[in-house]
Amino acid sequence: MRFIVVRRTRSHPYIRPLVIVLSLLTGMMLVAILLTLIGAHPLATIVAIAYSFITPQVVKDMVLLTMLGCALLISFKGALWNVGAEGQLYTAIIPIVWITLYVAPWSASSPPYQSILVTLASITAAAIFGAMWGAIAGVLRAYVGIDEVPVTLIMNYIAYYLVNLLILGPFRGRYVYGYIRTDDLPDAYKLNINVVMQRTGNAFIDGFLEFIRVIVYYAYWVLAAILVALLTWIVFNHTSIGLKIKILGSNPEFLKAVGVDVRRTIVMALTLSGLLVGIASATYYLGDLTRLTYPIQAQTAGYGYLAILVAWLSMLELQLIPISAYIVSSLRNAGRNMQIFGLGGLESTLILLGSILLTYSTLRFLTEYEVRVVK
Amino acid sequence: MSDEYIVLKEISKKFAGGVVALDKVTISIRTGEVLALLGENGAGKSTLVKILYGLYSADEGSIYINGRRVDISNPSEAIRHGIVMVSQHPQLIDALSVAENLALGLRTFSVLTSIKRISNFILEKSREFGVRVDPWEKAWRLTYTQKQLVEMLRAMLLNARVILLDEALTYLPLEEKKKFYKFIKEFAEKGGSAVIITHKIPEALHVADRIAILRRGKLVGIIEGGRARIEDVRKMMFGESAVEITYERLPASQPRERSVIETQDLWVTGDFGEDAVRGVNLRVREGEVVGIAGIVGNGQRELTQALIGLRKVSRGRIFIGEIDVTNRGVHVVREMGVGYIPDSPLAFGISIDNSMAENIAALYQRKSMLIDWSKIREMASSLIEAYKIMIPDANSLIKVLSGGNIMKAVVSKEINYCKIALIAHNPTRALDEVSAAMVRKSIKERAINDGVAVLMVSEDLDEIYQVSDSIYVMNSGKLYGPFPPDEAERSKVEHLMVI
Repeated sequence: MRFIVVRRTRSHPYIRPLVIVLSLLTGMMLVAILLTLIGAHPLATIVAIAYSFITPQVVKDMVLLTMLGCALLISFKGALWNVGAEGQLYTAIIPIVWITLYVAPWSASSPPYQSILVTLASITAAAIFGAMWGAIAGVLRAYVGIDEVPVTLIMNYIAYYLVNLLILGPFRGRYVYGYIRTDDLPDAYKLNINVVMQRTGNAFIDGFLEFIRVIVYYAYWVLAAILVALLTWIVFNHTSIGLKIKILGSNPEFLKAVGVDVRRTIVMALTLSGLLVGIASATYYLGDLTRLTYPIQAQTAGYGYLAILVAWLSMLELQLIPISAYIVSSLRNAGRNMQIFGLGGLESTLILLGSILLTYSTLRFLTEYEVRVVK
Repeated sequence: MSDEYIVLKEISKKFAGGVVALDKVTISIRTGEVLALLGENGAGKSTLVKILYGLYSADEGSIYINGRRVDISNPSEAIRHGIVMVSQHPQLIDALSVAENLALGLRTFSVLTSIKRISNFILEKSREFGVRVDPWEKAWRLTYTQKQLVEMLRAMLLNARVILLDEALTYLPLEEKKKFYKFIKEFAEKGGSAVIITHKIPEALHVADRIAILRRGKLVGIIEGGRARIEDVRKMMFGESAVEITYERLPASQPRERSVIETQDLWVTGDFGEDAVRGVNLRVREGEVVGIAGIVGNGQRELTQALIGLRKVSRGRIFIGEIDVTNRGVHVVREMGVGYIPDSPLAFGISIDNSMAENIAALYQRKSMLIDWSKIREMASSLIEAYKIMIPDANSLIKVLSGGNIMKAVVSKEINYCKIALIAHNPTRALDEVSAAMVRKSIKERAINDGVAVLMVSEDLDEIYQVSDSIYVMNSGKLYGPFPPDEAERSKVEHLMVI
């Protein structure tokens, strides 16, 4: 009897989500074993991690990471490794701060429709800034031949320091009690819906209601995420640019031979990617962040980097982006919970992330291959 | 006949998309024999030898060498068992010398062995095997024939007992091919074995001791080489479709006066800075098929790439439809309705990770913002049917197809696309006789019925004579001709190809 590895003749319908779930379970077991070796109770570890998957805190991260994951998918499909979502995220916030605090600041005398106009203008401006930031890397790659990975990475830091300069200079708030930050976003421009839920005393019902409250709070985000996912789906399934990006990722020579301007396609892919990051950025700032604090690189939640993980985990499949966004959000949440549960510090979080990614990297070969036992 | 050295028993293989490549094939390779594997496109010939060479793994079945079951999961193991494959495309690294290329695969030398010692060893061995190779020559300077010779020498240096030739001789000129066959015969007489995959049935009949015929993944029969008749072999390979095979000259076109493809003193630089195309003057008229004969590597690739706009012209002009398109890019030429069957179909002809429909859409709807998929799928289905492409449906990925069927996908979309001109480089490469006959007929029909100007470059002289209204010969970047096919003596054309 021997084992042979053969390429699957037809794709298993559930293999991709199955691999993700299997990686999660194996990774969790691995962490439990590792933490048991240093004295933690294995059950406590598993409970802490499992709990993180069902807490309302994952909703916010999941929705935002879904948007950013879709944005990165646009460039990744074209084998353009845009690792600059973090920079695009903060660059896109610049025009929002300018519009909401300086161009059209809210006052008691402002007409009610101003909030709608400013919000729309903010989202549009953020999308344009995100697109422009992405386009810079696209132009450098297409016309100068500079690899987009170091460019987009370096541009993250340029974005951080550009935002820092603005916070220290023209954007420095007037009502900040000595802190170095921008003024708060006026309430009229905030993209969230606050509802108060009456507590019932029943833990299960209260937990469920809290979920509802969080989803309602981020209802605009959910709408934006659906819009971004829909846009991504339309781009890849119905537009010629989407097809060109896909072929760019598999055979750019062929693209050139049919008469497509490959350089323009590269620029378009990174521009579109940045544009969607811009939309995500607007929802993030208007719905949750609401101000920029100096130094930004120490304050950032690192969503731009986590989005790379989301896109990678999805195996570049659009329908798996929300699932991988949910997993990455839950793992981020699990890291925090493990620290709260006294199961170690940052290192436990990193072990958890590392173990799951390790098992995932190992098991993802099952999507294309199967192991057979031959007599 | 001697003993069975290798037995492939009940080998089955399916590819993604459910394509059955091999279905319980049992075949043996005897010591000291030349075995020819024949079959139509997608019959499973290449898959079978790739399984034996460890490039693919069989889903079912086993391999026995000298009666002992073996696992061959990669080429290194195959080489350890004395099995070496030579493919259609030489695997040499162009920037390295012959000796450096050969040293890469040899275990005889350590990392510290000087290249001078390796070169001397190779020179000595090449003399011993009767192969003339200069070990100090850079690979890019070699002709296609010389590269294939180096590949054969590599097989010898690896102490091959079984050489697998997967269409390795397809593009060699006839005279060179004869020398290779003589070499293979001698190798078999010394106790080696060779498995040859070819679409040229007469050659298989001439050289092979046995002929195994595959059809749709099944072994339909094995015939002793001496007793086989070409008609019987064709019948076994193609069934009723065998009657479609013809090498008769196709009806001549009636070219009109209008020039569609024209070059004036065209110079094109090759990959290594050399002048690959040297002062070419060429004219293809509306409705005319111009054939360029020549041995691979004489500037044909650079010429066709320059015409379509993929390669910069260093001197001279190109006119398409009487408009100067010199160095204006592929999009300008494509926009005018020029089809292009490239020399490297897997690089420039198709994207194998995409579906048939997507490949067609990339060409036909690259200018539209939204893609009309129903129109594209309809077109894909009609091409699949017309060219008998073995593919589950228009949404299936190209990579699940056999080499011949991939070629049919490339050829069909380009022949269908061209409106004023078609630039076709080896349009029937890797196609079986029935498919090749159909493609030649389609090309000629487009010229006669629609007035398409066709420039066909081919290493296959039979093909050139069958289709062309006018023949040129390309050698060392220069173009000789035109010659009318009815008057041009074959020996004269062959002479021009090798001078």
